[in-house]
Amino acid sequence: MSEDKQQVSRRQFLNYTLTGVGGFMAAGILAPMLRMAIDPVLKPSKSGEFVNVGLAVEDITTTPQRIDWKVDQVDGWYESKVGRAAWVYKDENGDIIALSPICKHLGCVVSWEGSEQFPNQFYCPCHDGRYTKDGVNVPNTPPTAPLDTYQQKVENGMLYLGKAVPRKGA
Amino acid sequence: MHRGKGMKFVGDSRVSADRKASQIPKDYSEYPGRTEAFWPNFLLKEWLAGAVFLIGFLCLTLAHPSPLEGMADPTNASYIPLPDWYFLFLYELLKYEFASGDYILIGILGIPGLAFGALLLAPFLDKGPGRRPHQRPIAVIMMLLALTSVIWLTWTSAEHVDWEARAEMNKPIPPSNIEINKDDPGYAVYEANCMGCHGDALQGVSAPPLIGTEHTAEEIAKIAREGINTMPANIFKGTDEELDQLVKFIMSVNEQAE
Amino acid sequence: MLQKIYDWIDERIDITPIWRDIADHEVPEHVNPAHHFSAFVYCFGGLTFFVVVIQILSGMFLTMYYVPDIENAWKSVYYLQTEVAHGQIVRGMHHWGASVVIVMLLLHTLRVFFQGAYKKPRELNWMVGVLIFFVMLGLGFTGYLLPWDNKAYFATQVGLEIADQVPLIGPELKTLLAGDPEIVGAQTLTRFFAIHVFFLPGALFALLAVHFILIRRQGISGPL
Repeated sequence: MSEDKQQVSRRQFLNYTLTGVGGFMAAGILAPMLRMAIDPVLKPSKSGEFVNVGLAVEDITTTPQRIDWKVDQVDGWYESKVGRAAWVYKDENGDIIALSPICKHLGCVVSWEGSEQFPNQFYCPCHDGRYTKDGVNVPNTPPTAPLDTYQQKVENGMLYLGKAVPRKGA
Repeated sequence: MHRGKGMKFVGDSRVSADRKASQIPKDYSEYPGRTEAFWPNFLLKEWLAGAVFLIGFLCLTLAHPSPLEGMADPTNASYIPLPDWYFLFLYELLKYEFASGDYILIGILGIPGLAFGALLLAPFLDKGPGRRPHQRPIAVIMMLLALTSVIWLTWTSAEHVDWEARAEMNKPIPPSNIEINKDDPGYAVYEANCMGCHGDALQGVSAPPLIGTEHTAEEIAKIAREGINTMPANIFKGTDEELDQLVKFIMSVNEQAE
Repeated sequence: MLQKIYDWIDERIDITPIWRDIADHEVPEHVNPAHHFSAFVYCFGGLTFFVVVIQILSGMFLTMYYVPDIENAWKSVYYLQTEVAHGQIVRGMHHWGASVVIVMLLLHTLRVFFQGAYKKPRELNWMVGVLIFFVMLGLGFTGYLLPWDNKAYFATQVGLEIADQVPLIGPELKTLLAGDPEIVGAQTLTRFFAIHVFFLPGALFALLAVHFILIRRQGISGPL
């Protein structure tokens, strides 16, 4: 290599190699650790399993009723029973609607006709959030989206509920 | 005070601005022979050695998964405790008569205290000016003796241990909620022939666990009759029909465990 | 770009001398394996530090999954080993690193001993080094209990019995370590966790800092 063509000095070359070797070592050490750390992000989310909530379809009326049931929750190495709740009723077409009671504003718990001032509505006591019977938020109250609906199916006349799915805002 | 690229720093007024403290690092140019710059020349060599070392280390971790035994069970009376290998020499030392019983203090404080104390204070015990090993025979001989005895103690201790049997016996059992069906006809056979060593939940006591076994049904039947490793033959005393029930029972529990 | 950022910072807080002090020195011939292959013995100290760095990093990541609680410690380690991607490898690095660090430390100590490099003026650095050795053994002993498997439990019980035999303060020493005069259990595990993760590493960092500063001040020992 002729002198005038030499663009990389010996010192620079050594520095580049040093960076490369250092990078290799850092990568070798950190790659498995970072993969381990981000593992929860990469785990495929489990599709909701349907759980028998202990309510016969024939007992569902057109008035929303609150039901509570337990699901098995596996949290890493910790397994537990976690309580779930829903407001269930039949609409005019006879279809079953199961609404999550979690307010879309700040996560308080709503209840059917929770306030005497607002009959035929879901009411959230925290910030006076309101939803109509189909779970759609009443405009000009704090919530910005309708209540989540549970995935549902009916088997042997019993209601099975799955995951709560968010809906688009009104 | 001027420093670096000629910036003027507001310093302490009592320090004269042009006093150059020993800011210039030692350059070790006083060393004779072929010296080499630490950065980047020598560091590159060190890191290359480090990279090779790392590859070897990662191969080790990949080839040998870290061991995990069953969850701690304080009621497990048959478990023989054993420390990590670097404490084995102490463990072995305490087996000797002069280091146990009435002389336990010699074993736990006297000998290790003397050895580690001497190690800590080595510069004050070995004060001569000479650095070569033959110029300080006492220190070198003491160290060699200590080293030999530590290696020998570790070796003796490790020699008596059947590491594979230990690992096999203490395999971790997954935290499952396996329910043993006690109405299974095989359970009665199991209770009569195997439970003493393999435990009431197949978890293994003085013998390895039967949950998570890699043997096939035919192999289990054969082992029950003929034994394996430390398990003697003819432990199973029953009819062929009972043997069949037993194997079905063990396999059904294993299927449940998966 | 990088050069400009560097210059901007350097103009203000004068960082050049800090790294120049570490980077700019000559390495003498007698420790350079390129000139004398036998000089590889001088690598043991550096490799020990390298493994210590691996231990610190893998330990930090392991605490993302580990819980120091007798109900869940074993389950969390089992989950980490079997369910988490690469969890097996990271725990393996920490487990085998603990052994490798002891081996490298032993080799480094023997190199310094047989070369008589602890003689004046390096007595203090030798003592700091031996203390680092003790801290490492302590880390090995306390780390051993954390997975809460049979091996951990029974080996720790033996260790605590040894502490119990110490004259005068024995029972108190055992209670101090185990958190309870009788039981080796929940309180023992949290104590050992605290010692393993905070107290001993803190001591280790301080001792390592002193060790390295002394090396820079005194320089490496001359050839035999």
